[in-house]
Amino acid sequence: MISPALRRLGLVVIVCAGLLGTGAATAADEEYRFDAADFEKKPYEFGGYLEAKPQYFWLNPGSAGYNLAYPGGSSGNSVYGATGTLELVGKYTVGIATARFRTHSDIQRYNTVNQENNKFYEALLSLRPDPGLTVDLGKQALQWGKGYAQTFVGFVQRPKDPDDPELAREGYTIANADLIRNFEGPLQTVAFTPVILPVSSQVNNDYGVVGHVNSAAKLYLLLQDTDIDLMYLAKGSRPARFGADFSRNLATNFEIHGELAYIWNASKPVVNSTGQVTTQQGNAMNYMAGMRYLTEKDTTCIVEYYHNGLGYDEGQMGDFYGFVDGIFGKPPAAGNAIQNAINLYRAGYGRPNAMRNYLYAQVTQKEPFDILYFSPAITTMINLDDHSFQVTPELLYTGVKNLELRLRLYALVGGAGTEFGEKANSRRLELRVRYYF
Amino acid sequence: MAPKLIAAMVCFIGCMAAFPAAAIDGNQILQKVDRNLEPESYESYRKLIDIQPDGSSKEYVLFTIKKGRDKVVALFVSPASDKGRVTLRTGDNMWLYMPSVGKPIRITSLQSVTGSIFNNADILRVDYTAEYDVETAEEQPDAYLLSLKAKTGDVAYDRLKMWVDKKQLLPVTIEAHAASGLLIKTLHFKDIKDFGGGIKRPATLETDSPLHKGYKSVMLWSGLKKASFPDEVFTLNYLPRIEDLRK
Repeated sequence: MISPALRRLGLVVIVCAGLLGTGAATAADEEYRFDAADFEKKPYEFGGYLEAKPQYFWLNPGSAGYNLAYPGGSSGNSVYGATGTLELVGKYTVGIATARFRTHSDIQRYNTVNQENNKFYEALLSLRPDPGLTVDLGKQALQWGKGYAQTFVGFVQRPKDPDDPELAREGYTIANADLIRNFEGPLQTVAFTPVILPVSSQVNNDYGVVGHVNSAAKLYLLLQDTDIDLMYLAKGSRPARFGADFSRNLATNFEIHGELAYIWNASKPVVNSTGQVTTQQGNAMNYMAGMRYLTEKDTTCIVEYYHNGLGYDEGQMGDFYGFVDGIFGKPPAAGNAIQNAINLYRAGYGRPNAMRNYLYAQVTQKEPFDILYFSPAITTMINLDDHSFQVTPELLYTGVKNLELRLRLYALVGGAGTEFGEKANSRRLELRVRYYF
Repeated sequence: MAPKLIAAMVCFIGCMAAFPAAAIDGNQILQKVDRNLEPESYESYRKLIDIQPDGSSKEYVLFTIKKGRDKVVALFVSPASDKGRVTLRTGDNMWLYMPSVGKPIRITSLQSVTGSIFNNADILRVDYTAEYDVETAEEQPDAYLLSLKAKTGDVAYDRLKMWVDKKQLLPVTIEAHAASGLLIKTLHFKDIKDFGGGIKRPATLETDSPLHKGYKSVMLWSGLKKASFPDEVFTLNYLPRIEDLRK
């Protein structure tokens, strides 16, 4: 059952793709004409993308995620609709100063919910008095860490969406600087990035405990052809933590990377099967190791192992599912207990990759069977503790100038009491049509 | 005396005939090729055109800067879907910065950030003398034929056969081979153009590959000129700001 709005959206996308496709085909006729003057720099720049994403979710009735997402009762066996997104990026440069922004607006129209969001993901002023010194002030999305699917050392940034780790994310309002120095010899580059992140009821209030001015820093070294980062976040809105990462090419087609984070006095809420909540506190170590390999047939393989020292073990997760089963299994469910369970789910148990050990793998094949601009891929995230997993086949087509078509199926596999088996949906089909301008 | 002199002359002529290549200094030719192709430090615009077997094509425009023998940055200026992407190379290290992702990731020389026959090593090419030693140099009627061997295993192509125009000391054709001897691609330099400032070099580079039959990739140069940049520009932290270097 597809809504009329969704049908109209699909029609618009197909017509646009057809028109753009016609333009791209004629572009091939203009052979070997090139003049740099056509690409002169302007003091301002403006661009972005427009995206339509119809989605269909197969729900997983009876699962903990389903019960907590729809505590009021049945919402049927599926959710369908579409999200339209517009992101605008721009910048204006005068002398040593550059102002830049990235906006994010989306409209969600689904059979269960209608929602709209408008945000500045980034809006900042950059001053560069010297090539080796930059000072930034404003809302900015920093990107620390080497992991593809997720990172443990992104101390002053929002977490990645593990389903789409390359999506732009909202930044925090910060002040930071970049000091860069280059050298001859085995140590080629040193860069130091101090960061100030205030948290109050008005600014960055979702970062952590309000009333702190948090300080963090990153030291980057390019040492003997290896990228090395050392990070530190002082105690404030979040517990103090130290991090390190590295990346290195071992061959022309083989890269390795890794991360380590150590957190002092980390805490997490833990619930037993009767609903009693305690706070577990202690030091925690997270680490990951990964590699990327390119075969002779243009197949790219990425494999990463994650150990989340702060994650829940099988017993703790089992207790949570038991607690949720208990309150929904004996109607009428108590309102307070349901709200407690929802809060716990949002605070930790329902977060992506909430348990201890995971294996992430992605295999991408460029233009198989000589199908131009076509790249199929398959991605999986395996919970090594309970052996549940998510597998995501994907088809990507980029043959039309500035247009990207991506079809994905997310299949979640796992029995009762496992992480992926207890999610609100068991499958999701998604078409993403994105036009850049 | 006379027989001894004649014997010495015969011996000398014999030696010259036996070692004709000794008269050609391949390394010197390669150094001249490097400098004739580009100044050691420069800025330039390049257009990459990937032509598919069905005749359709995709184009990318890059703003490129280079410093010294082995530091190169390429910024994607067009199309909109790739605008703002930056690739950096220092020696054998290569990174890709995508503005939406924000985090520079390491890439390898055999990958292609554009998906064309040109791989990252071609797009971020450094001086030939930085990566290759001349094994042999042979004089042909119109060209010198240089056989080059990669200095390390980190270089994208293990061996190059380079035909160099004798008059202009510019490459005409380069064959790139894998360690197994497999021909990976052939580069054809064309359309010699005066860029000003004493730079006269081919403005067009075409490549084809037996591994990608029917495909062709073309690289065009414009706005090539000498320029100098501080070392700090060629670092990961600077990549989001490379656009500011365009004038």
